[in-house]
Amino acid sequence: MVCVCYHSNADGLGHDRILFLVPCRTGLAVATFCQKINMASGYILNRGALTLGIHCQRVCRNVSLSQVREKKRWMKTYTFLMAKKLKLEGPPPPTPRSQQPHWDYHAEVQAFGTRLHENFSQELLKTAFINPCYLKAEQQKRQELGVDSETTALVLKDNIQLSEKGASFTQSFINDWSRANFPNVPTDGVESIKRYLTSTSVVTSVARNLGIEDLTMSAECPVPDDVLCSTFMAVIGALQESSGAERAGFFLRDFLITQLIGKDLFELWTVVNPMGLLVEELTKRNIPLPEPRLIRSAGASTVLPLYIVGLYSDKKLLAQGPGETLIAAEEEAAYVALRKLYGYTENRRPFDFSSQQQQQHQQPIIQSISN
Amino acid sequence: MTSRGTPSRFLRSVLQNGVGRYICQLKRISIIFSKNAQSSLGVREFIEEGVVDYAKKNPGTVVYVSPQSCRIPKIVAEYLNGNVKEEIVTSKTPAQISELLTKLTDQSGLDIIRIRKPFHTDSPSIQGQWHPFTNRPPSVGPIRPQKQDPQ
Repeated sequence: MVCVCYHSNADGLGHDRILFLVPCRTGLAVATFCQKINMASGYILNRGALTLGIHCQRVCRNVSLSQVREKKRWMKTYTFLMAKKLKLEGPPPPTPRSQQPHWDYHAEVQAFGTRLHENFSQELLKTAFINPCYLKAEQQKRQELGVDSETTALVLKDNIQLSEKGASFTQSFINDWSRANFPNVPTDGVESIKRYLTSTSVVTSVARNLGIEDLTMSAECPVPDDVLCSTFMAVIGALQESSGAERAGFFLRDFLITQLIGKDLFELWTVVNPMGLLVEELTKRNIPLPEPRLIRSAGASTVLPLYIVGLYSDKKLLAQGPGETLIAAEEEAAYVALRKLYGYTENRRPFDFSSQQQQQHQQPIIQSISN
Repeated sequence: MTSRGTPSRFLRSVLQNGVGRYICQLKRISIIFSKNAQSSLGVREFIEEGVVDYAKKNPGTVVYVSPQSCRIPKIVAEYLNGNVKEEIVTSKTPAQISELLTKLTDQSGLDIIRIRKPFHTDSPSIQGQWHPFTNRPPSVGPIRPQKQDPQ
């Protein structure tokens, strides 16, 4: 009789099959022997797996791998390392758009002009984008690289002249425009409107939303606000030179002056003593001085009192304003009176932003109506 | 989730666009596709047929066509306010792609999130802020509790 002992390894590796062919008498003994071998081999294999495991870990720390197909074991460590690096070093510095893929400077400049519906001369527009700080940085870079400055000279003009021209034009245009639109507002008010419109925050926000930031050549990468401002002024200067002051005026009206929409006069112009100003204005116009009277009040003893003060001049109501205290109400009434005097009330006629062609079209219609 | 929990904004335009003149807000568009992948078959057809027409129709937009070895063709649109929008055009027909381009051209580039009201005004109230004397007949004297009729 023959006993066949078919044995497969308990560790699941399944590589070695042991086949015993023994006579029948020794069958029992062989079977027990087999068990012993099985245990021993299991022990050895277990040890082997353990050491292999430790070894594997040691290798994995150095981002190497015991490869298993389509299982990215290195990914976890790698992402962890990258996250740690990002946390330590912070996000990488921003690169200018011109150094990122898909950038054709000439096409971009051309599209800039067409997008705004303006006819720029390309050379002037390109000059307008070159800031002196960029030229300085570029020259320094070339010197460091050891480029001969005579053979490959940096033939570029900077935008200082254009910027100055544009800035002076902007100032004068805004001045004229606000004089024409608010004939009653005094010089201080016009000045403050002008200061608001040419302030760095307004001009930079306009320039950023017109896509000037991408085209600006500057030494630093997020373009500093003052550089962006001067570039915007230079663009206006370039427009004035290439298509005349009228077009530049329309450009300013459409992009800068539209920022006035929804703004109150006294948001832009801080008046410390409105009552004093009102008295001054009324004496200028030979109107009797205002006389504040408490018209109505409610809840005087509560936490939310309300007083309404009316300003009378010559027994006629000039204005009335609410407030939580008598003084605040009087001040508010003075503001309301000033707004009425200056013609800057909330319900005034909106500004005329229609384009040249529309204005030409509109004139005959108005004539036909009047006829 | 209720709609109150989602991000929202008010209706507005970039830089009061359209008050003075209208400006197309799409400044740059790049079409990224593969020269031989099956998934960019439609993009290749569109580039043969329609991309020149599109560029001629929109001179204010710079169109970049870049063949790369990629499985997923996409259109990257950059807007004037700095927002970048990616649209994936895997296995789309030329007609669908041109429709998508028209949509991207017409958009303002502001985030597409819930808009709180379908209208906007700079002066929210015509009659001013409410106070206890709104819509009351003018009368002399402050407001007092009404006198009880002596009975």
